[in-house]
Amino acid sequence: MTRSPSAVQFKQANLENGLTVIAEINPQAKSVALGYFCKTGSRDETAEIAGVSHFLEHMLFKGSERRDALQVNLEFDRMGAQYNAYTSEENTVYYGVVLPEFAPQLLELWTDLMHPALRQEDFETEKQVILEEIALYQDRPNVMLFDWGRARYFAGHPLGNSVLGTVQSITALTREQMASYLAQRYAPSNLVLALAGRVDWERTLEQVASLTASWPKGRVERTYPALNPAVGELREPYPKATQAYLVVFAPGVSAQDPRRYAAHILANILGEEGSGRLHWALTDKGLVESVGAGVDLADLAGIYYVYAQTDPANEEVVRAVLREELERLERFGVRPEELERAKNKLATALVFAGETPMQRLMSVGINYIYNQSYEPLSEVARKVRAVTLQDVNSLLETHPFSRSFFYSLVPA
Amino acid sequence: MALSQVEVLPNGLTLAVEERPWTPGVALQLLLPVGAVNDPEGMEGAASLLEGWLWKGAGSRDARALADAFDELGVRRASSSALEHTTFTAQFLAEKLEAALLLFADLLLRPHLPTQALEAVRQVALQELASLEDQPPKKMFAALRRAVFLSNHGRDPSGNKAHLESISAEALREDFARRYAPRGAILALAGGITFERAKEAVLNALGAWSGSGAGYPPIKLAPPHAIHLEQNTAQVQIGLIYPDVSFDHPEFYSARLAVQVLSGGSSSRLFTEVREKRGLVYSVYAVPNGVKGYSYLTAYAGTTPERAEETLRVMQAEIARLSEGVREEELERTKVGLRASLIMQEESSRLRVASITRDLYMMGRVRTLEEIEAQIAAVDLPRINRYLAANPYQNPWIATLGPRKLVAA
Repeated sequence: MTRSPSAVQFKQANLENGLTVIAEINPQAKSVALGYFCKTGSRDETAEIAGVSHFLEHMLFKGSERRDALQVNLEFDRMGAQYNAYTSEENTVYYGVVLPEFAPQLLELWTDLMHPALRQEDFETEKQVILEEIALYQDRPNVMLFDWGRARYFAGHPLGNSVLGTVQSITALTREQMASYLAQRYAPSNLVLALAGRVDWERTLEQVASLTASWPKGRVERTYPALNPAVGELREPYPKATQAYLVVFAPGVSAQDPRRYAAHILANILGEEGSGRLHWALTDKGLVESVGAGVDLADLAGIYYVYAQTDPANEEVVRAVLREELERLERFGVRPEELERAKNKLATALVFAGETPMQRLMSVGINYIYNQSYEPLSEVARKVRAVTLQDVNSLLETHPFSRSFFYSLVPA
Repeated sequence: MALSQVEVLPNGLTLAVEERPWTPGVALQLLLPVGAVNDPEGMEGAASLLEGWLWKGAGSRDARALADAFDELGVRRASSSALEHTTFTAQFLAEKLEAALLLFADLLLRPHLPTQALEAVRQVALQELASLEDQPPKKMFAALRRAVFLSNHGRDPSGNKAHLESISAEALREDFARRYAPRGAILALAGGITFERAKEAVLNALGAWSGSGAGYPPIKLAPPHAIHLEQNTAQVQIGLIYPDVSFDHPEFYSARLAVQVLSGGSSSRLFTEVREKRGLVYSVYAVPNGVKGYSYLTAYAGTTPERAEETLRVMQAEIARLSEGVREEELERTKVGLRASLIMQEESSRLRVASITRDLYMMGRVRTLEEIEAQIAAVDLPRINRYLAANPYQNPWIATLGPRKLVAA
């Protein structure tokens, strides 16, 4: 908790092996959050190894040469750690939070796990878990909507790659393919170790330098093929859906783009639950079960998205209203009072975003991955306050919503 | 640690404040004991409809002006209705406390409940109910609770389709006047405010609120049995409910620690046996759960049909095995985890107000961190194992949802 914002400090170091270490230190916090942010995800996969990033994320928990899976689980729990990991199209993030006395142990454990043993027996067992995870989402049309919608929208661009992969790709994946991917993608130069909260910086730096001294250097590339996203409309029947699920994708701004704060506000004005334009146009009229909008800020690319869930009988009307609202937004822009209200709510949200080291870790880590820079919460708040009507409305000058792609999953 | 101060105001509203002078924000949680459990007969879903209808205008403002007024103050807000209560949450900056409370007072004391807006609220509720079909775990759990409780506690918080379709505006307004009352309601605030200031603001905004609210129905259980719902899903949903002890039981903390050994982390027994060793599932867990006056243990797993029999067998075996006791090392590990999560929860004002309202609703008081730590420390190995031997988890209610019925269930 931020008792006095001025007490918060940022530190950064680059180790000889290429690893970057960053910390937002808050001496008033009760806990320490830390994690490794690896700049790799499904967009960095070929079709043959689809799902390997996420499967590998699971395999890290199966241990290194020095620890087996049960030992890893025991060690996390003996520290009372709250921890997990996730894989997205662009990043694989391993994170945990502990009381300060356990921070050195947590750091040692995560650091060791960055070099997993990938034992064949564990690989086969965990493959079954991944196949269960795929089955789990097959039963959730609201999730498949985004998975399949992105694939159709990005039309062959790797940003449309599924994080989970498919039953076929996972079944066929070999341990050797995973080991090769690991060797290519988990070089120190492609990792950021981030910490937040009550961090002992000098001790951390000394510890991590010693733990990673033998890590081999490596160069990691990411390819950026030209984007040529789909425009128009596609409806697909899905036997597991009884409701209709709609998503709209349109070109947005990237995670590096200074206009991202304005884009966030734009999406908020459009789709905030309970008060956005789409709430009044759809939920307030009883036309949908839910509706929302957001931005997905990616690496040198980005999208706006809008989603809605509705009774199949309303599907046509909902699509028509969405078109109308997006067209109206693009043609007439947002009003000054809408901007002010959105900024007021964001100002409150930013106060609460600073409460826990875990929240700060995620924000500081992800921003660093994309921008190689640090933004204190006060600076984010300042940038949000500084967004003008012109900033928001100029986002619409490129007519993003005229290039929308409407995707829906409907009952078969 | 910040201590929460609790006072029951003259109109029966319980106010709890945790002063956190270092933060400029305030988290609010208001719990009203208005839920499916006390929806009137023939009006299942009334609490859910009311929660949506309230936002359609209040005081001097129509729906849009009301939303705008909250937004202008920068109040982030949400509301939801569940089996036992309706909950309003909000976050705002401390200087907006008085103004935010006045808006909530309009909502609670002076809602318009306009007839012409009810149809839209009804349509949203019906769609929410229908969407249960596309959420197999939620559908399975709704059926499982229905199998456990013969009383209203088995109702689906989303309501009953025929009732939702037929409830009239008039009947709902009467229901609102009866059930939305300060007696039994709990308002928790945590943030950069003092108790005195909060009390004055709450009295000013809500002091005139009156009413004694709805009652709470007695609990009636069905004998343990198994049910199956047939649906062509990719995964079989498996849910179990075991009787457990409540907050007022002297061995409550022994039971809590035992559940942690069973499912409190990835080294826990269920995760280890079902997922890590056998790879049977992505998700498996057991959590303490319950309604006011009846506590139970809920266990869950989702797995593909050909592995469902084995999954259920391993789960039941692990849960039954608790009666043989836990090991010293398991108990110690569990204590460390519980202590860490208690301390870390202190960092978030939103988690604090949620925890305070839950304690006040279930127990009528707020436990301090010191009290919980002392209770946990007092559970040693002989004590927890004596308790587990005498109180084995057995005879569960079982629900499965999937392409075919399991033999083991």
